[in-house]
Amino acid sequence: MSETTIATDKAPAVEVKNLSKHYGPVKALRNVDLTIAAGEYFVLLGPSGGGKTTLLRTIGGFHKPTEGQVLLHGRDMSHLPPDKRPTTMVFQAYALFPHMTVLQNVSYGLKVAGIDRKQAEEKAAAMMDVVGLSGFAERKPHELSGGQQQRVQLARALVLDRDILLLDEPLAALDAQLRKDMCLELKHLQEKVGITFIHVTHNQEEAMTVADRIALVADGNLVEHGKARDIYRAPVKKFTASFVGENNMLSGRVSDVNGVSCTVDVAGSQLVVQKRGQQVAHGQPVDLSIRSELVQLSRANGSNNAGDGHSILGSYDEAVYLGLTTSHLVRLPNGVEMTSRTISDAVDDLPTPGDPVRLHWQPEAIRLHTS
Amino acid sequence: MTDEYANPWLYRLKWLYMLLLVVTLMSPVLYVMYISFNANGFGARAYDFTFEWYRLVFSDTLLLNALRWTLTLAVVVTCITVPFAVLAAKYYKTAQNKLPIVFLLLAPLFVPPDILGSALLVYFKSLNASFIWLGDQLGTSMFDGWFRLSFFTAVIGLIIYTIPYAFIVVLITMGRYRTEQTEAARACGADGWRAFWDIEFPQIRAGVFSACSFCVILVFNEYTRTSLLKGGFDTFTTVLISQMLNTGMSPQSYAMSSMVAFTAIAIIGSIIIFTLIRTESLSRLARAKAEPVMSS
Repeated sequence: MSETTIATDKAPAVEVKNLSKHYGPVKALRNVDLTIAAGEYFVLLGPSGGGKTTLLRTIGGFHKPTEGQVLLHGRDMSHLPPDKRPTTMVFQAYALFPHMTVLQNVSYGLKVAGIDRKQAEEKAAAMMDVVGLSGFAERKPHELSGGQQQRVQLARALVLDRDILLLDEPLAALDAQLRKDMCLELKHLQEKVGITFIHVTHNQEEAMTVADRIALVADGNLVEHGKARDIYRAPVKKFTASFVGENNMLSGRVSDVNGVSCTVDVAGSQLVVQKRGQQVAHGQPVDLSIRSELVQLSRANGSNNAGDGHSILGSYDEAVYLGLTTSHLVRLPNGVEMTSRTISDAVDDLPTPGDPVRLHWQPEAIRLHTS
Repeated sequence: MTDEYANPWLYRLKWLYMLLLVVTLMSPVLYVMYISFNANGFGARAYDFTFEWYRLVFSDTLLLNALRWTLTLAVVVTCITVPFAVLAAKYYKTAQNKLPIVFLLLAPLFVPPDILGSALLVYFKSLNASFIWLGDQLGTSMFDGWFRLSFFTAVIGLIIYTIPYAFIVVLITMGRYRTEQTEAARACGADGWRAFWDIEFPQIRAGVFSACSFCVILVFNEYTRTSLLKGGFDTFTTVLISQMLNTGMSPQSYAMSSMVAFTAIAIIGSIIIFTLIRTESLSRLARAKAEPVMSS
């Protein structure tokens, strides 16, 4: 996979080279290579247990790599503990010091750095203002809500003026609405302070909201990384397509190869898909993905039978109302279910379950995955 | 939360039961204290208050020496046991498999004191003989005294005895502590020791002090292991019991018993009172800050 970084004249904030982390026979990370530019909001996205937190904690110095290097601003820091690195961290929960007030929590790092108490408290108070916590200085952590506690963690980390902020599922313990609000706040805060944020989450909506770039981490591997929009719109790997967005995943065999495209046999239908530089051979099993919002649904009749390479026939199953959108579930002849997502109430005349329907899409909407 | 539908008489009965239990447990101790201030001694009809028996205790060289040895033993055992208990509790907190740690640390609690004491006695005697033999083979006498019964062997016996208690007490106070807090301190620039001292210790301080108190009390009260493993010195309890066995309970013995009981009750009582006052002041503070502040 080629490295893509946001164009910048600064040295990369983080370079991870051939990084592996093993716990006995368990391989939590396998030969990960990654570059994160200074000032970037980078998200590590993936399922639980995939290795994203291990990667973040290895960057932060909480785990020693089994193999490979972690370079921060060009310096190899693989052997250094967390307190010797230019990083700081926001944890998922339970990380505030319960015996200290909010002000003492926020100014703790400054106290450790030997900064004069009065100056430290002034700086901490200013940072509490930035994260919207003025008036809470004398409270103890248990007197705050979950969202306020995470703000304290943010203030405590940001007040140190470190170059890299690591966020380990910082919003996971919050309710849905608060998570949404804090996502935007995080993004705006990062733009304001301009330092590198590396954020771990398993929530794709959260990732899309804040990220400049996203890396997919699963089973200890860095599956794919790129700009948030590219990861959503043009996933290269099958895993990315299945994890990000609501993609229809279809399996088939290549029945014809010609120039820039190939034809794939899926449930008896011949679907045409662009190769986009991938090498395929006749008879090779491949996967296809297409986002559900790009799939249109129509009733099947004699005049619109599939056969153009960009549509497939099936029988209508049911409609799932999701508020803003409605998912129409269609069963293909091979038993696979496909989804067409439309704006709710956009279709007045819904088919009844069992009706033959046709699903169709624009030629460039469907993607080929060989891995 | 209280059960508003509960029978109030049942509630009173529970308190009465507890009170009865405490009185039953404490009566002999209180009675000994009562006698220790009687100038006429045990069994006398007349009661004349006096400090004479206490004065005699403190003018007895044998007893003062025993007190010195006991205090030294208590300090040394506490200094070794409590840091070990803290380390064990820290390890327990982060360990994946907690059962072996609990078993190893609590096992001494389940062995009767005389069995553990005699097992250690046999062990040290065998070890001592082995070292003397080794010295003989090497033509040196430098190993001769290593495992002879002494202050050192008594310390080992008492450490084994006190560790389970200290471990449990420290572990109880670790409930609120999370390892993420130490990691957060490290992420703020604190080294390992600083993170422990600033973040962990204040949260387990009550447990550490309680464990220290427990160790001192346990060493003061312990007889079986100490009497089996000590060398040529006596502790307060060994003197007391040997006096009781040889000459029967004297008014001086009652005074000594009362002193040990006073010390234990005073230490435990201070901890309870301190904790109650602190809890009350913290809740008063929390109530004062309870009015909401809206975030901007």
